[in-house]
Amino acid sequence: MNAAIIFVLLFGLMLTGMPVSISLGLTVLSFLFFMTDVPIEAVALKLFTGIEKFEIMAIPFFILAGNFLTHGGVARRMINFATSMVGHWRGGLGLGAVVACALFAAISGSSPATVVAIGSILLPAMVKAGYPKRFGAGVIASSGGLGILIPPSIVMVMYAVSTNSSIGALFMAGVIPGLVLAAMLMGTTYYQAWKGDYPREPRRSWAQRLQAFRESVWGLLLIAVVMGGIYTGIFTPTEAAAMSAVYAFFVAVFVYKDMGLKNVRKVLIDSANMSAMLLYIITNAVLFSFLLTNENIPQAIAEWMVHQGLGVIGFLLFVNVLLLLMGNIMEPSSIILITAPILFPIAMKLGIDPVHFGVMITVNMEIGMITPPVGLNLYVASGITKMGITELTIACWPWLFTMLIFLVAVTYWPPLSIWLPKTLGLM
Amino acid sequence: MLKVLDHLEEWIIALLMGGATIIIFVAVAHRYATGLPIPGVQDWLLGLNMSWAQELCIYMFVWMAKFGAAYGVRTGIHVGVDVFINQLGPRKRAFFVLFGLLAGALFTGIVASMGAHFVWEIAHTSQTSPDLEVPVWIPYLAIPLGSSLMCFRFLQVAWSFFRTGELPHHDHGHVEGVEKIADVDVIPVAIVPDLHPKEVLPRGHPRREDQ
Repeated sequence: MNAAIIFVLLFGLMLTGMPVSISLGLTVLSFLFFMTDVPIEAVALKLFTGIEKFEIMAIPFFILAGNFLTHGGVARRMINFATSMVGHWRGGLGLGAVVACALFAAISGSSPATVVAIGSILLPAMVKAGYPKRFGAGVIASSGGLGILIPPSIVMVMYAVSTNSSIGALFMAGVIPGLVLAAMLMGTTYYQAWKGDYPREPRRSWAQRLQAFRESVWGLLLIAVVMGGIYTGIFTPTEAAAMSAVYAFFVAVFVYKDMGLKNVRKVLIDSANMSAMLLYIITNAVLFSFLLTNENIPQAIAEWMVHQGLGVIGFLLFVNVLLLLMGNIMEPSSIILITAPILFPIAMKLGIDPVHFGVMITVNMEIGMITPPVGLNLYVASGITKMGITELTIACWPWLFTMLIFLVAVTYWPPLSIWLPKTLGLM
Repeated sequence: MLKVLDHLEEWIIALLMGGATIIIFVAVAHRYATGLPIPGVQDWLLGLNMSWAQELCIYMFVWMAKFGAAYGVRTGIHVGVDVFINQLGPRKRAFFVLFGLLAGALFTGIVASMGAHFVWEIAHTSQTSPDLEVPVWIPYLAIPLGSSLMCFRFLQVAWSFFRTGELPHHDHGHVEGVEKIADVDVIPVAIVPDLHPKEVLPRGHPRREDQ
């Protein structure tokens, strides 16, 4: 009963279009005030202690690092490197777009940023080279989703924080699925290009490839800082994030000289703006999950589900459908912070691996970004191409279908995600 | 007067962000530098205690989060589920937008007063934080201060929406610096005009003029 009241209240408030963080907070306040005698002062303390965890601080640092590197030049160098490697195949620029998105995803934790950075350079080039606009828009909008699967990933940090999982293990678990998905997206791209007889780029010599690699290597080294640092235990994930922010600053300002020192203040403010928004949702989501636990709701739902005889297969199917539906109308961080406290205890009860569960949720979020009406990647791509959301959705369809197949694989074949962290001894 | 507040807000969050990054960088560097057997320097480094760095970083980020959230109201970065109200007629939509903004003001107002009460209570105890050993009410002051500012920002945005019908809008797809790029060797000489990046994300994007 209480569960019903809480969720009706929450969704009612959310549908009025107010910020998700505010609807979470108001739900908690009004429920505690009208329905229980929990002292409201407990809320004030939670508002501070809710984000008083060092792990959470990885989020602002990764955002800062990403913002330094998205500053122009890095994306351009990565595109050059990617097209020099795969450009000579049929549909070369399309394949290059997938590779460039994957590379860029490894230095940025955000999908829309990947779409803009790669798309605003490559799309005009693709149209000019004779590719249909639809094809280009579809490739880039969907490959941009790799941004949250290939580490570092802000969405994964959110999941780790709200379920007390290991950030390092999750990051490692994202590597192989990320590469597999990139390969599958390339396969789809190649097939489309072969069917439509799209052009190819001239083959580059190995000397040219080496040159392109050398130019982009400073950006690529960030991957080593983050993954290497966490794996060898030199840094904790948060420290690795801070180090990558400092590294990104040096690369952007002193090595590539893409930005002057005078722009640093702007980058700091933009990063603070984005991080504060996410931290504010986290604070209120912590309040919300405090309320849920206080009312024993996750346990009750878990009991009920297990009692219904819903097995692992049925539960995972249910989770996928639920998350895909939510992905249509909400953005990833909010979905994870609201659903994880409820779904996670059930998954644990059914004996699902927490890291595998996290990767599966991340892939769902990725798909949510290219499904209408609210898909950030679609909006961003629509800004670049001036195509309507409906047309873009159709354009994305082949890759969306590929992603759904991939989702099934990730969901029902756990070794795909947990083999690497297990082998490396991270879990 | 408001301009001063705007600038103060921006400077505070920028400094907290940069400061926290530098502190963690120095703490990590210190941890590894103490392992280097350099005579003299090593002893001096070992004498320095950096154990407070994590705690300070957390406090700085909590402050950054509270003030940044207020700044975020001004830039319209706090996202909600607006697909449904966007289907409504302009008058109804305006009603819901105002409702949302005022609900935000209500929530942050309540939190600010609760936080103030809480800080007042705790200031009368002798609790100190574990590593920095400062009285805990000082870092906790972020809640009443940040929330009051945020409440004020919600009212400010609601008022300007009521008068002009304009909302601040954050463009999630905006990436700083991308607009300058045109010299990629994969792009042929001429660029299709309607696809030029400049068209998409000009500097001082109209939707960001509110900043």
